[in-house]
Amino acid sequence: MAYYKQPCDSYFVESHDDHGLRFREEIREREAHIKRQTQLAIAEDLSQLAIYEYGDCIQQHMEDMEGKTLPDVAAIDIQTEIQWFMRPYLLDFLIEAHSAFALLPETLFLTINLLDRYCSRRVVYKKHYQLVGCCALLVAAKYGDRKDRVPTIKELKAMCCALYDDDMFTQMEWHVLQTVDWLVGHPTVDNFLQLALDHLPYDPEVEHMACFISEIAMFHKEFVSIRPSDMARSSLALARFILGRSQASENEWAAKYEHKTLYSLSQQLHRPSSILSRKYSTAHLSRVSITLEDFLTRQASIIRCYAPPTPPAETCTESRKEPNSNNMPVTPTKPYFMTHLNNGCLTPPITPTNQEYTAGSANGMGMGGFSRPLTPTSMTSEPSNHQYSASCSLPPIGQIAPMF
Amino acid sequence: MNPSNSLGGDINPQQNPYLPLTGPPDNSQAQAQQQPAIPPHLKHQPTRSSNLKRQITDQLLAPIDILEYDRPSKKSKYPGLVSEGMDKRHPSSFQQLEKLGEGTYATVFKGRNRQTGELVALKEIHLDSEEGTPSTAIREISLMKELKHENIVSLHDVIHTENKLMLVFEYMDKDLKKYMDSRNSGGQLDYVTIKSFMHQLLQGIAFCHDNRVLHRDLKPQNLLINNKGQLKLADFGLARAFGIPVNTFSNEVVTLWYRAPDVLLGSRTYNTSIDIWSAGCIMAEMYTGRPLFPGTTNEDQLQKIFRIMGTPSERSWPGISQFPEYKSNFHVYATQDLRMFLPQIDQVGLDLISRMLQLRPEMRIGALEALGHLWFRDLGTLRAQQAQAQAQQQQFGGMGGMPPPGGYGYNSSMV
Repeated sequence: MAYYKQPCDSYFVESHDDHGLRFREEIREREAHIKRQTQLAIAEDLSQLAIYEYGDCIQQHMEDMEGKTLPDVAAIDIQTEIQWFMRPYLLDFLIEAHSAFALLPETLFLTINLLDRYCSRRVVYKKHYQLVGCCALLVAAKYGDRKDRVPTIKELKAMCCALYDDDMFTQMEWHVLQTVDWLVGHPTVDNFLQLALDHLPYDPEVEHMACFISEIAMFHKEFVSIRPSDMARSSLALARFILGRSQASENEWAAKYEHKTLYSLSQQLHRPSSILSRKYSTAHLSRVSITLEDFLTRQASIIRCYAPPTPPAETCTESRKEPNSNNMPVTPTKPYFMTHLNNGCLTPPITPTNQEYTAGSANGMGMGGFSRPLTPTSMTSEPSNHQYSASCSLPPIGQIAPMF
Repeated sequence: MNPSNSLGGDINPQQNPYLPLTGPPDNSQAQAQQQPAIPPHLKHQPTRSSNLKRQITDQLLAPIDILEYDRPSKKSKYPGLVSEGMDKRHPSSFQQLEKLGEGTYATVFKGRNRQTGELVALKEIHLDSEEGTPSTAIREISLMKELKHENIVSLHDVIHTENKLMLVFEYMDKDLKKYMDSRNSGGQLDYVTIKSFMHQLLQGIAFCHDNRVLHRDLKPQNLLINNKGQLKLADFGLARAFGIPVNTFSNEVVTLWYRAPDVLLGSRTYNTSIDIWSAGCIMAEMYTGRPLFPGTTNEDQLQKIFRIMGTPSERSWPGISQFPEYKSNFHVYATQDLRMFLPQIDQVGLDLISRMLQLRPEMRIGALEALGHLWFRDLGTLRAQQAQAQAQQQQFGGMGGMPPPGGYGYNSSMV
């Protein structure tokens, strides 16, 4: 690169301004690009070295730490005010905030981990749930992100429509830290994914799909207390299956996933939060949410061909997991959320996960049909009928595989 | 919809479910009916938004540890609810003694536990009321909670008060800088001490790296020494957990004199090797009593390094010209023999230090590998000899020094 760096700087600019400027700009861009590439290559080499030298120890330490930093679903169950159906709303809000501040991918997982760990230890009031979420985000960002990316309390406050005062954020932040006993270094699903993928040639699509799947899983109670290493292996295996990539060979770390986790994951891919789908429909995340949707539609049509006579309604009730059955607040909540859309909050009014809860009871009340707004991103190719869509849930890997 | 009918008892339908109530909840009655198990202090009291904040503050100050009560017996849900104070410990349980040091974000005092009489080091971090707990403190505390090792200073406690955070560390007598200055030898240390300190330093570093932590600020001031000759790593304010693959980090790390050349050249993708460079600089400093590369600015620092280690080129370091801070007009120096600057060093030690002070990060020796270096092989015997000599010295009250430990071309720096 060095050979054209010096002459062009002075020569072109003096003689023909416009052209020279543009030319110089181009060269500068190309140089910056090459520099970035070299830096990446160096980083690659260095991490190979680090893995070679410390890989086993680091992995062992991470597996040690994940055990110490798992949330406890049973403890969250006994919360009186906050309920599981509220969690997806908060998660949607946090995902949007996380994207808005352009934080590291692992920060999102860490945020949710801190939130759930806090809720496993402390009674949380409904009106503070969002505050806890924001402070978890703040702590996670301070722990892992560059200083200039860390959200300020003022920004967080504005995101919550000034529902909380500044000093409530500082107090709650401190309280989150104290509750998790200052042990913030939870190894996230993302960390384990990187570990599993590091020795392979870079395949962004698999990585993004695995991330998307683990973020879908984040919304479901049944995965809250599953170890991130297991989540990483299972989502990776599922992502590879969906994308038709070859699976990890048997003796690899990545191949040691729990079949149970993988199965439950494959059951939860339907109608992910629209916020999440939108996030993963961008090009820099390989548009994996669209890929997944296509895949599911294809699966559904295959299943319809192979099993015509069964009434779909029955498959639905059998295949679907019963939503957790503590005293769920019921129907009338939904339509009212819509009216709250205009309060300026980032929070989306409706997430599909909540849909499951309301849909179940709403059917009886005859209001399931209009309670769901159609989101432009994910609903186009999907059947509009509840029972119908439930019937196309992905069968376990073992059942699908022979069809191809 | 009347909230007191069968639909009551859940969330106020006009609210987004997790958003706080800003007015008096109109279903508090129904709530009480449906969930009789809620003790009075948990009940939703009708509040005006004006005193909402005060109420929240009260609740935050008296959080309830929900693990305190008996989980399996769900029918009596809250038998043992105890409200726990914000802190069981209080700063006044420590007597504050003299100031040990002051940094940009913290002040360190010597302290004594009033109950046990134990000496401690108290690190006071001033809290920014605007942005809450500083990220440095969050990283330092959470990393130190993970790192329990005999060569890493241990964190006993974290105490929080109105406007400051107090970290209680085990007490160490001196830092390495003061220890060197206190020797009447112009800062030089004796051969056995250097070897012992280097071994402990590398053990501490290896433990950090095993646990995916980069220290990023190793220097004599951050290595603490106690009377038993133990050395421990301290001040993890700049430390952070590194991912695999290596993330991009800030290059504003490590005190200039101990900063690795790749970081000086603007690399943001360094890894464990940056701590090894610092360790190499510290080793040289223990031999001479003076910093090896006392630069004043980024450029000056690079120049001081190149003057001794030789100016790298694309040939000796492929890819160097792509570093952000690389200048094609770096003054070209030839590589010097390190022995000229470290006359007291033996051949094997020279090999170790030159493996640590490699310009290219990927060529630098790792901490584990360094610990297995030949140079440390006789450490056990040397320590035994030293202990024996000290015992003798005490016995005879004599002034004689230790017998020089053998065979490494070691000469006179020992007093």
